[in-house]
Amino acid sequence: MAVERTIRHIKALATGAKYMLGGHRLTLMYPDDIQEFPDGYRGMIEYDWDTCIKCGLCAMVCPADAMKMYVSKEESEEGKRPVRRPGINYTRCIFCGFCVDICPTNSLKFTKVHDVAFYTFEEQIYPPERFREGIPKPQYDKEPRRVRAVLDEKRGIRYEPVE
Amino acid sequence: MSLEERELEVLIGPQHPASGHMRLVAKIDGDIVVELRPNIGYVHRSVEKLAEVKKYLQIIPLVERPSLADTTANNLAYVMAVEKLLGIEPPPRAQYLRTLLAEINRIHSHFYGMGIHGVMIGSSTAYMWCFGDREPLIELAQELTGARLTYSYIVPGGVRRDLPQGFEDKVEKVMRYLENRMPDYFDLYFNNPVTRARLEGVGVLTKEDAIKLGVTGPNLRASGVPYDVRKAEPYAAYPELDFDVITEEAGDAFARVMVRVREIQESIKIIRQVLKKIPDGPILNEKYMKMIPPNLRKQVEETGHIKFPGVFANLRVPAGEAVARVEGGRGEVVFHIVSDGKMSPYRMRMVTPSFRNVILFEHLTKGARVADIPAIYGSLDYFPPEADR
Amino acid sequence: MQDLLSIIMEPYVFVPLIFPGITVAFLLLLVIIWLERKIAAKVQLRYGPLYVLKPLGGAIQMVADLLRYLFQEPIIPKTVDKLAFIMTPALLFGTAYLPTIAIPVSPTFYAFRSDLSLLIVLALSTLAPIFTVVMGWASNNKFSLIGGIREGYIVVSYEIPMFLSALSMAVLYGSLDLVEIAEAQKGIWGIFLNPVAAITMLVLMYMSTSKFPFEIPEAESEIVAGAYTEYSGILYGLVMGASYVKLYVLSLVFTILFLGGWNPIPGFMANDPLLPGVLLFIKAFIIIVIGAFLRAVYPRFRIDQAMDLGWKTMLPLSIISIFISLVEVMIMGGA
Repeated sequence: MAVERTIRHIKALATGAKYMLGGHRLTLMYPDDIQEFPDGYRGMIEYDWDTCIKCGLCAMVCPADAMKMYVSKEESEEGKRPVRRPGINYTRCIFCGFCVDICPTNSLKFTKVHDVAFYTFEEQIYPPERFREGIPKPQYDKEPRRVRAVLDEKRGIRYEPVE
Repeated sequence: MSLEERELEVLIGPQHPASGHMRLVAKIDGDIVVELRPNIGYVHRSVEKLAEVKKYLQIIPLVERPSLADTTANNLAYVMAVEKLLGIEPPPRAQYLRTLLAEINRIHSHFYGMGIHGVMIGSSTAYMWCFGDREPLIELAQELTGARLTYSYIVPGGVRRDLPQGFEDKVEKVMRYLENRMPDYFDLYFNNPVTRARLEGVGVLTKEDAIKLGVTGPNLRASGVPYDVRKAEPYAAYPELDFDVITEEAGDAFARVMVRVREIQESIKIIRQVLKKIPDGPILNEKYMKMIPPNLRKQVEETGHIKFPGVFANLRVPAGEAVARVEGGRGEVVFHIVSDGKMSPYRMRMVTPSFRNVILFEHLTKGARVADIPAIYGSLDYFPPEADR
Repeated sequence: MQDLLSIIMEPYVFVPLIFPGITVAFLLLLVIIWLERKIAAKVQLRYGPLYVLKPLGGAIQMVADLLRYLFQEPIIPKTVDKLAFIMTPALLFGTAYLPTIAIPVSPTFYAFRSDLSLLIVLALSTLAPIFTVVMGWASNNKFSLIGGIREGYIVVSYEIPMFLSALSMAVLYGSLDLVEIAEAQKGIWGIFLNPVAAITMLVLMYMSTSKFPFEIPEAESEIVAGAYTEYSGILYGLVMGASYVKLYVLSLVFTILFLGGWNPIPGFMANDPLLPGVLLFIKAFIIIVIGAFLRAVYPRFRIDQAMDLGWKTMLPLSIISIFISLVEVMIMGGA
């Protein structure tokens, strides 16, 4: 029993030493490195003003009431009747992507961006006019290296630079 | 404090490094725990009541939220209950994809539990390793579903996305990686004499007590009860897959950890079978597939990403009741939905595994030592938000 | 200037103030905590502290931390015993560092030479834990109280076997003078003569300084930070440093007892304290680094298991080590 215990102590210490000397690391060096997400990543949402048929399905399906139909001022004045278009509130959005999946004209699209900082609550609300301008561009002090997660048999996960 | 008063009441949490989102009220006599009562409800979020004002599809992200790390089980169980009411069946390929995600999720949920347990007994390495090795699995799930944890992948009638290109290879790589890593886990952590000393014989749950208290999941199987919903009431693709129900006889904290470790190995087996046996075909029920406009249907076939039919926005479910059970990472998840034919359920009952296991805190810690409290807590893989809902 | 330097180089000034005294102890503190975090990070497949002086891998992280401790408001809760609460960190740090004065740097360089220097070091090193217990009491917090009591229990279970195994070396060399003990190891080191004593002393050293797997009095997941729970700012910085300083002192003693102290040094260098001092330091440093490495391997014991180890395994082993010494003395006919 005591012998077995001793062997186990030695094994544990040896395994620890093995990893201490090995060069294997799993860290993603954020924000020096920024991960490129795979296709279909559910990030912030882009809106296509022209193809939208204003059906309101996105606002209906939204589980967090982030997507809402706003009265679009210009169009309403032109047409003399209220025209509603979708806008999004990123304080509420949970990135489930239901709105994108239900949109019958593909007017809503996923982007791969999710890490944007805002200064105020109001900035996070995107009424249709702002929504059409696209997502804000993330800003960095120093242009980060873009990396991609590569799954690896030996090391689990590696982050390789993308050209 | 008079001389006769021997007991000291210690309030562990909610502001404590190892209490989680709840308070444990411990009465201790010296180093012996006389009584330990968990004070639940600190993170109650009223999921059941909220469900009564949300539409059926909107409840999917809602039920995922309480159980971090084990979201697929809730997603799947809820959707299964809704499908029973709707009277539809997902196509076989969707069943396999559901199983695939459920098993990937089970592995990283177990890693999550074991990691937290590791740091609770002081092994920061176990914590970091478990959380590090969770990452490849999350990366896989992310590629499949588009999100890291809250997948919302399973919808009534099927799943939202088909397998991406080259996904099988990536899965196989990760599975091999996990298998290669396991011996190191044993050498450094599970067979470490200090770990053994801390966990063996601690918090012993006998078979009889486990059944009597209605414990569920790995905690039940660690006491030698071979009960697993995947076998007892097979769902998704499980009837067609070959796997064993893992049990351990000892019923102590170490046995509970070992059940999780062996279930990870079993899940690897299941995932391999799923990828081998997965049939071709649609991933959404025909009924809903037909409702998608023709030009979009073509797009769905090309991209493998489902477009929801418009009916999903205001899904009406026929009046009636349905119960669905799923074996999640932490144990059995039960959903009971009462529908009155409107757009929201009349009542939704959500029974989570942590809610059923919380009784063990009081039961197992009687007579244990103060240092055993985190050792037992961690071994239960108890997650306060999941119990409080 | 010349005068000042010559005063500093006087052994009775140099030893307490420079090496092995406060300056080196302080520098070591800055390095070892960083190194401990680095080693743990390496085993755990991550980087550890990195961004403070990136080219050197975050080597001055602890300087940044120290600055933070210095400028952080030390919060003193209303319910504590103020005098005891404020005094104990300083006393703890002071008493942990005190034994360095009796540690010789080379055969000819020491603050004072005593026939009983080993006993003086050991006796002074027992003072510090008392202040941990006082701290636990003064904080008026249940977790602090439990932590203080745990420290008390741990002290009684490591102190006797640790001293017995240290004294078994005194039996072997027939002296309690650290200079003589080190000089007696010119040929063969103590660790090879009496490995039982060496292992016992090493394990108990880590136990006495709350290294893993004996990090029991401040077990985070059980009792928050034990006796240190209520401390903040520079007061916490002091108590955190104290256990490292204590490990440093004990490692120096261990080096002198078992690793030949400043040996081997060439004869012509013996009168220059530089090389012996460096050798002594390097050996002690390795012992400290091993202690830091253990954090990455072990979880922590329960208190009863640690006491079991102290009383049931280490005490018999330390008594055996005395017998080993006696037998060796008998065979070799006295040192």
